[in-house]
Amino acid sequence: MFIKSFHKQLIVLFVTASLFYSCEETINPDLEDADPKLVVDAWLNNKVEDQVVKLSWTQPYLENTLPTGVSGATVVVTYDGGEVIFTEDANAAGTYRWTPTDVTSADVFGTIGRNYKLTVQVGAETFEATSRINRTVAIDSITFEFEESDPQYPDNSYTAEFWATDPVGKGDTYWIRSYKNGVALLKPSEINVAYDAGFTAGGNFDGVTFLPPLRSVNPDEEDENDEPLSPYEPGDSVYVEIHSITLEAYNFLNQVIIQTDRPGGFAELFSTPLANVSTNITNLDPNGTKAVGFFNVSAVSGMGKKLELE
Amino acid sequence: MILRLPTFIIVLGMLLSQQAWSQSRYTLSGYIKDASNGEVLVGATVYIKEIGKGATSNVYGFYSITVPAASYTVEYTFVGYQKIEKQITLDKDVRENIELPSDSEQLQEVVVIAEDEQTSKVQTVEMSTAKLDIKTIQKIPAFLGEVDVIKSLQLLPGVSTVGEGASGFNVRGGSVGQNLVLQDEAPVYNSSHMLGFFSAFNPDAVKDTKLYKGAVPSRYGGRLSSILDIRMKDGNSKDYETTGGIGTIFSRLSFEGPIVKDKGSFIVSGRRSYIDILARPFVDILKDGGALNFYDLTAKANYSLNDKNRVYLSGYFGRDNFYFDDNQGFNWGNATATVRWNHLFNEKLFSNITGVYSSYKYELQFGDDARNRFNWNSSISNFIFKPEFSYFVNSNNEINFGAEAIYYFFEPANAKGISNGQPTDISLDKRYNLETAIYINNNLTINDTWAVEYGIRYSNFQYFGPGTIYTYNDTIPGKRKTVATETKYKRGKSIVDYGNFEPRLSVKASLSESSSVKASYNRMVQYLHLISNTTASNPLDVWTPSSNNIKPEIADQYTLGYFRSIGASKQWEASVEGYYRETQNQIDYIDGADLLINEYLEGDLLSGKGRAYGLEFYVQKKKGRLNGWISYTLGRTELKVDGINNNKWYAARYDQTHNVKVAAFYDISKRWSVSADFVFVTGTPTTFPTSRYVMQGILIPDNASGSRNNVRLPNYHRLDLSFRLEGREYSRKGKERKNRDYWVFSVYNVYARKNAFSTYFSQSNERVAAGQPLQSEATQLSIIGSMVPAISYNFKF
Repeated sequence: MFIKSFHKQLIVLFVTASLFYSCEETINPDLEDADPKLVVDAWLNNKVEDQVVKLSWTQPYLENTLPTGVSGATVVVTYDGGEVIFTEDANAAGTYRWTPTDVTSADVFGTIGRNYKLTVQVGAETFEATSRINRTVAIDSITFEFEESDPQYPDNSYTAEFWATDPVGKGDTYWIRSYKNGVALLKPSEINVAYDAGFTAGGNFDGVTFLPPLRSVNPDEEDENDEPLSPYEPGDSVYVEIHSITLEAYNFLNQVIIQTDRPGGFAELFSTPLANVSTNITNLDPNGTKAVGFFNVSAVSGMGKKLELE
Repeated sequence: MILRLPTFIIVLGMLLSQQAWSQSRYTLSGYIKDASNGEVLVGATVYIKEIGKGATSNVYGFYSITVPAASYTVEYTFVGYQKIEKQITLDKDVRENIELPSDSEQLQEVVVIAEDEQTSKVQTVEMSTAKLDIKTIQKIPAFLGEVDVIKSLQLLPGVSTVGEGASGFNVRGGSVGQNLVLQDEAPVYNSSHMLGFFSAFNPDAVKDTKLYKGAVPSRYGGRLSSILDIRMKDGNSKDYETTGGIGTIFSRLSFEGPIVKDKGSFIVSGRRSYIDILARPFVDILKDGGALNFYDLTAKANYSLNDKNRVYLSGYFGRDNFYFDDNQGFNWGNATATVRWNHLFNEKLFSNITGVYSSYKYELQFGDDARNRFNWNSSISNFIFKPEFSYFVNSNNEINFGAEAIYYFFEPANAKGISNGQPTDISLDKRYNLETAIYINNNLTINDTWAVEYGIRYSNFQYFGPGTIYTYNDTIPGKRKTVATETKYKRGKSIVDYGNFEPRLSVKASLSESSSVKASYNRMVQYLHLISNTTASNPLDVWTPSSNNIKPEIADQYTLGYFRSIGASKQWEASVEGYYRETQNQIDYIDGADLLINEYLEGDLLSGKGRAYGLEFYVQKKKGRLNGWISYTLGRTELKVDGINNNKWYAARYDQTHNVKVAAFYDISKRWSVSADFVFVTGTPTTFPTSRYVMQGILIPDNASGSRNNVRLPNYHRLDLSFRLEGREYSRKGKERKNRDYWVFSVYNVYARKNAFSTYFSQSNERVAAGQPLQSEATQLSIIGSMVPAISYNFKF
């Protein structure tokens, strides 16, 4: 998995090496028809803000419209001591919300190690998924760096890094989610997941500072000619969150990276065949409508910083 | 059984030699060489006219033929050389070393199969092989004008590639890792430079190549689908000679000459690419210690100690460097060294003992500074000892036997990360393996109609400690397996021990002087596995040995063929071959497999079955101003793996239904010649999604039925052309020039077709405002999307 983070650098080299003979074209292939599957997008956390579960149907791959929400479902999260009912947003079909307070949030998400079950009822069908809230780790600091000539970026760029140390004990998994000026960095190339302080279970980076590629929280910004831009300019701010995730969610996100981060060009030589990413949503009726998506509950730590020149 | 096999060999040998002693027979033997430079000729023919018996020289140029005492007219022939006829009286064993003058007077150069009439493809028992000599390879138009051994092979029936830039080649539906590439007996684990754009072999140092796609003799083993045997030049044993060339990518230089005239010679060849030097002023990233280059160095020496002993030393070192700056980048390459000793026990018993060291290594590093960096290297090294014997019983009967021991040393990952000054070592256990084999092979001509070649190989593979062995729970097919047990083994303790018999059989029945039918069966066993789940094989792929979790791969192949020569002088040759191969324990990967630096790699591997079958048609015109060949392969390659494609058979990535290759060579005048090749291949299988969904703002593709390789890319076709202009043979004053030179002007992909390498699906790279739909798109990538002209200048003095 770590090779992914090395990819960007390799690609720059290979593009140089490709001697300008390669070419890419957007095409419009005929794709097989398929029955829609239920999409469950349920990533909850202990932040005191609206918790959202989105239900929709899968669309034909090349249909560039907003997905159709699934209305009229019941969405409930249960745990050993209670349950939370999500209610549909009247203005957004398929969006189900629960608005916690400091107290209710702490009640529901305040105990590390607690297990949760999501139950979604759509028509006569019931879908279930389970998750667990794991420990997260505090961010010590965020630093900006002036890159006079880093080959990945234009000369005189600014990059950002966060600093945190994975707690001792193998098997902590995290999703590092960053925001630039309040906008979430969610391009496939910006998805940043960690296993302890490294990339994989087999990697054995336990109890140390997060590895450099994981620490970097830089947007993948390009101008209209697809030339990279400086990730940050003076006046920009960055906000970093470390979400604890389950091992299943870590595997899921890694698969998402493999399937979605397709920079093209020579990187295609290193790409793997298209395959479906996993899901933890199951239909109680195995012969019923298929479901995709994921349910995860996270503990979150966060820190922000503004790039100011002294 | 292991102990009994050598006994069997000895008894068999004695029986056969008894038969030989019962008549008054004598042996004619010796070496056949090129008169101009002393290079031994491989596959040259010795033919005794009176009795219609013949023999061919082996890879060391040695021949031996035993016939009843008499006076004979003996013909020595080799394609492209003048025939030599000799009167020889065999009233005792006779040693006759022959030097054939090359046939430079004639305009046409003979292409590919260098056998002569008496032992043409039609009349030998051998099938499913292809031989390309370097003269032919040099004529084939190549990418950027670089003469390329591997790319040339891809014009032969049954040989293919998944696309430009992919390392290696595929034979009869086998994967890249199922080919054994030998360079002077040393295995080469990655045969490519610059990903897969150029092959690792310097054409100036190559003498000839032979590819076994089936009916593999028992002296070879270790890979399922093919053996590519590349022989390096010995070097000119008569005169000093310098050859070289300046091309678009590489510059090449070779120097060769006698150590002691006619007794020994050497050759040293080097190549280096120089795009980075040319590009440096224009490309930003190459400024501060950046590098983008590849080079290789080949050296070889041989010396005849006396009439009965000759030693060879050869070595190869190749490396690719891709660096941004001094701290970041990667490199990879092969290194090999071979020592060989040819010894003649007597006129009938030829032996060769080989010792080999070979390794493949790659290394990556990245990071900002000494407190934050990551280093990783991975390697496979081996030491080989291989004694081999050829016993020429009589002109109809040859026995080959021998043994092989290979000690492997794997370093899957030496990896060290320093994060904020804290070092962490995440290296994986090294692995130690021993592969051994013994074999015997008998090539027997029964009468004018029937000939058989049969043999058996017994191979054994051992995995030794120290090491940690995991067993895995088989939970859900196709999902990552979880560790069940962990066992530590001490140094030298045997962890696994596999043994396999590999029977081989080929039969030929001549229908007439110009046609024959052949059939073969062989079993091949492969103990090393190339771990690669990417679209194309690439330099970071890791070789891994068989273990408690990875069983040896086994293939059984059956072939049937019809061979025919056409025309009064047999200038045409045609063949049809059918093959069917079944494989067991073929490796596949779970979706999202993590293959690099993963201690639990084996939990991400799946094992399945494979089948490949096809028909290969081949027509070749061997002589004349216009010569060349047409090949057509109709084939199918499928895999069946639990957990992939709903456990149903699916087409492998390298499955190509139709594969047409045309290579044509034409001499326009004494100085100008033109070569062309045309390729048409059915698009390779790939997987397209059906649906999309959005999760946390990320657009994810989905194939609703979960199938693999459900569609095909567009068909691939391409035409290449190359013109060669020979330099003048005579100077203005009419003197013959000592220096020879020629220019090659080539165009790759003449009609600039944008052949698809892959189609990928992704969300567009723009950031989408809240409430707006994500944009999905399909992109078709052509690695070579335009016509590529090139020019090279080559010289010799």
